[in-house]
Amino acid sequence: MTSQTATTNRSELVVESREMDEKKFRGKVKGTVFGPIIALVIFLSLWQSIPIVFDMKPFILPKPTDVLQAAIDDWHLLWPAIQVTVTESVIGFIISAIVGIWISILLASSRILEVSLYPYAVILQTIPVVAIAPIIVIWFGSGFNSIVIISFLIGFFPVVSNTLMGLNSVDENMGDLFSLYNASKWQTMWKLRIPAAMPYMMSGLKISCTLAIVGAITGEFIAGIGGGRGGLGYAITVAAVQLKTPYLFACAIAGAIFGIGFYLLVSLVSRFMLKSWHESSMKVEK
Amino acid sequence: MGAMQKEVVSFKGVDKIYNTGTVALSQLDLSIHEGEFISFLGPSGCGKSTALRMVAGLGEATKGKVEVFGQNPKELIRNSNDIAYVFQDSNLLPWRTVLDNVVLPLELRGSNKNTRKEIAMRVLEMVGLKDYLKSYPRQLSGGMKMRVSIARALAAKPKLLLMDEPFAALDEMTRQSLQMDLLDIWKKERTTILFVTHNVYEAVYLSSQIAVMSARPGRLSSLIDVDLPYPRDRVTSTFTEYVDLASQSLEYSLNRKELG
Repeated sequence: MTSQTATTNRSELVVESREMDEKKFRGKVKGTVFGPIIALVIFLSLWQSIPIVFDMKPFILPKPTDVLQAAIDDWHLLWPAIQVTVTESVIGFIISAIVGIWISILLASSRILEVSLYPYAVILQTIPVVAIAPIIVIWFGSGFNSIVIISFLIGFFPVVSNTLMGLNSVDENMGDLFSLYNASKWQTMWKLRIPAAMPYMMSGLKISCTLAIVGAITGEFIAGIGGGRGGLGYAITVAAVQLKTPYLFACAIAGAIFGIGFYLLVSLVSRFMLKSWHESSMKVEK
Repeated sequence: MGAMQKEVVSFKGVDKIYNTGTVALSQLDLSIHEGEFISFLGPSGCGKSTALRMVAGLGEATKGKVEVFGQNPKELIRNSNDIAYVFQDSNLLPWRTVLDNVVLPLELRGSNKNTRKEIAMRVLEMVGLKDYLKSYPRQLSGGMKMRVSIARALAAKPKLLLMDEPFAALDEMTRQSLQMDLLDIWKKERTTILFVTHNVYEAVYLSSQIAVMSARPGRLSSLIDVDLPYPRDRVTSTFTEYVDLASQSLEYSLNRKELG
């Protein structure tokens, strides 16, 4: 998943085929919207009927209606938990984006740095965060800070690997053009390599934003609340202990909804940033 | 073209052997004078692009010497804008508008912002794209992109313009109109042009001189002076004679390769 990159579909004759695209686009939207909705309705009705048919207790498998009821009843607990997790993961994501992009630029600016440091970045990534999380709690105390750091650590690598790939994928002729005009190393970096890496960078950020949420919830499992209010991860552990399974489901679904929303937001920003030139983001442009 | 003119480019016994062992150029001796429009004509693999890249300082000779205005090309591009290069694909930066693409060479050399725009307007007018300043490359056709690319090369006021099969990917109509415009620009700007092509008609239509190359190893097989007045008419018998001459010379170089 970390090596996911932007795919560029070269499409000529963009201007001429706008109108046709729009018609196709409408048709596609119908298919892509209604398909998933029908699948969801079928899934929910199956889920609703299984506990009834097999006479299962709600703490084993709650019905969707039980989950909804739990979410409404405990909204005064759920809403603050959501807010905490959102804050943690957004901050973790922003830090991983900033640090990730800067580290990539630094590594890409020097062949020696990249060759000597990148393998360690990969190794760092293969260590499961759950294994190092306790150390982070020891260093930074339980609670907010540790959770943000864990979220950052999980979201950081996809940004680096994608950005670095983008910075190194510059078209050879464009590189020649810059050397022909005697461009300095940093001119080439700012005016050629970074803009050329933008699509890669954006796909790295899309991966990273969902991972940041996973990081925050995992962090909450381990680092708890630390005096403040607990997030979704903490609420899930508590609900599990108390066998409040419907509420546990509500927490998990809330996390998923936030994840989708966050992903869509980052995609939207990415599309806006690449609007002017990149083909992959033009496909959906109206 | 008299011998009085200043020498712009000289190849002296140039060999180019790649690390893979491929001999791209062998014993190239050629002297190009100011104001010429010289085409390197040859089959693919004859080292014509390699020669062009060496003139631009983008590659080095394995043996022998390439000089531009009496200097090492690498030195020259470090200190001046005398050399410009038009690539086979237009090679525009997709995230920059037409205007911003054209000013790139000036921007990299750190010239003043106002003069940049002025120069860009002048060269864009020359290629007929004055009304597309704010367009992005993806909104332009292949021919228009190539025009922008030529405008960008002209922006830095080069004394030597290198073109590596710039029209090869275009359709015939677009190619012919660009060829005409290029000749106008050549006349107006008085630059020396080195033009790489594998198209005999294109070479005869454009060039004052044709350097016919043979392949593997790439060497100069003949140098033809095209003594026809501009603008040239493609249907006259003298035009056809030159096309035949260049074709024969090209075939001769191919046959010689096969025989020995």
